Amino acid sequence: MEQIIRELKEQIVEALNLEEISPEEIDAEAPLFGDGLGLDSIDALEIILILEKNYGIRLENTAEAKPHFYSVKSLAEYIVANRQK
Amino acid sequence: MERPIRTYLGGDALLTALGYGTEANYRAIEAGCCGLRPDAVSSGLAAAGRIDPALMRSLAIEGYTLLESAMIRCAEAAAAETGTELAAEECALIVSTTKGNVELLRTAVDVPAEAYLYTLAERVARRLGIRRRPTVICNACISGVAALIVARRMIRNGDCRHVLVVGGDLLTEFVAEGFLSFKSVSPGPCRPYDAAPEHGLSLGEAVGALLLTADPSKAKRPAVVLEGGAVTNDANHISGPSRTGDGLHYAIEQALTEARIPREMLSFANAHGTGTAYNDAMESKALARSGLSELPMNSLKGYIGHTLGASGVVESILAAEELRRGLCFGTAGFSRAGTPCPLGVAAAHRPLTMRHALKTASGFGGCNAAIVLGLEPHVPTEQASETEYEAREVACYQLPQSDKPFAEHIRTLYKALEAPNMKFYKMDDLSKAGYLAAEYLLRGQNLTERYRPAEIAVVLENRSSSLDTDLAHQRIVNEHHAEGTSPAIFVYTLPNVVAGEICIRHRIQGENAFFIDDALDTAEGYARRLIARGTARAVICGRCEYFAGRHDVRFTLLEKS
Repeated sequence: MEQIIRELKEQIVEALNLEEISPEEIDAEAPLFGDGLGLDSIDALEIILILEKNYGIRLENTAEAKPHFYSVKSLAEYIVANRQK
Repeated sequence: MERPIRTYLGGDALLTALGYGTEANYRAIEAGCCGLRPDAVSSGLAAAGRIDPALMRSLAIEGYTLLESAMIRCAEAAAAETGTELAAEECALIVSTTKGNVELLRTAVDVPAEAYLYTLAERVARRLGIRRRPTVICNACISGVAALIVARRMIRNGDCRHVLVVGGDLLTEFVAEGFLSFKSVSPGPCRPYDAAPEHGLSLGEAVGALLLTADPSKAKRPAVVLEGGAVTNDANHISGPSRTGDGLHYAIEQALTEARIPREMLSFANAHGTGTAYNDAMESKALARSGLSELPMNSLKGYIGHTLGASGVVESILAAEELRRGLCFGTAGFSRAGTPCPLGVAAAHRPLTMRHALKTASGFGGCNAAIVLGLEPHVPTEQASETEYEAREVACYQLPQSDKPFAEHIRTLYKALEAPNMKFYKMDDLSKAGYLAAEYLLRGQNLTERYRPAEIAVVLENRSSSLDTDLAHQRIVNEHHAEGTSPAIFVYTLPNVVAGEICIRHRIQGENAFFIDDALDTAEGYARRLIARGTARAVICGRCEYFAGRHDVRFTLLEKS
């Protein structure tokens, strides 16, 4: 799990161009959207792309998957449970 | 006193998935035909409004791309319908397109000249014998409606007697992959305003030509007048529609005011109605705020798909036919209301007593546009004179050049501002450059304290549109097609998104316009006109160019004297 959280933070910083934030600075339990990191709907789509490309997870229903996008930790848990590669 | 000038709708022509010609399209929709089919080219599109390839080829002109050929054919047909001489000195051409000949980037090693939107427009103009320099509007999905508004202003201003507005966009892999990355494509034919759990849009392609004229004898009968129009920005998000509908609501109100039509006089509305949940919800809220929840309305996307830069022209042509023939089309794909606010939408066609129609559009970059069309006997007498205001230059800022690489240079300028914005590094280079120029231009101006958001406009122009980011997106499409493309890159393949970024940052909700012009002399004149006519009280205008590491950004702040 720790490994996935670390990976995910690095992938998010890179894919979302969070230039002024280092992966270590991201609180795994803090909300990604709204307040927290201030991500938006385009960022959410980029995270979906990370899940598809790096973990082989295809989201059929994005609305149902929404709770898993709350934080890095919830995403990591979702990846552990659903990863295809 | 100068005699007021009405803007009549002259001849028109269409090419869509339903066929060639306005009459053919009208008849097909009247018969309930749907042009959306599983796409043979892009497997990801379950339903798309592609123009019949054989028909497309039959219209081809040697030495021109398919898009240019279709634009030329439609333009000639539109002009011929009401006997207008295009070679006359008094005829101008406006081209409305989001991506033009972008298909050429797929295989090209170097960027061919025709991939530049202005070159495309020049080629079309020359072939048509139009001597004036063309105007190109690239304002995402409102381009077509915005082009009609610009044309009306040119005619009212006395610049020319006739303006031929040609809108066109083709369904390329570039566009298909981009919308697929946005997860906004419907799993079947789109269902605007419907309660179906699966939402999304169906992409389409089309070309439409509509001649606007000051000459009543050249009006297509029964005569329809373009009575007014307005463009606004949500100042909310570059791709997500407003959650309140305020931007579109303001556009509708301003269009009605300019047309001097009380809302009760509207007979129907043809809205954007893409079929995505967010767009349709936003429209229902905007119409509710304008007191138009019960007005009969429709979306034509279920027949021909979302035709992007062509949609505003194509759908306005069809809306004018609905007015002329007294029939409000049903909305294909709609069966049960699914929007948060009620709408006067129906599946079936409805005969109506027609007076005036409202046409709206909304697009990436947070832009909205609305126009009012009226059947002649109901059109109020135009106001004879309008007070003209003087515009004065309040500030000017040119983004400095540097020997350092652009990324480093722009970072230094950004840091020096000491105004952090989480979104800055997410922007493409064109937007970064425009965003920073606006920051420096407006520093210390207290602009938003002195004016209401709707009183401030952003009018920009450049030569290469969003070509730099277009190449980046095309590269991903070519190389990583199977893995999906990046929505964060695709969203910036529209140059007007930089105007959207500026509007979000400074809470500006007035008009947005993005022109593509080789000579770079459209924006300021247009901005001065907005102030002269009272459409805006302050305008950020100028050039915003970025391509292959080189920038040329110079903004001016104009204000009403």
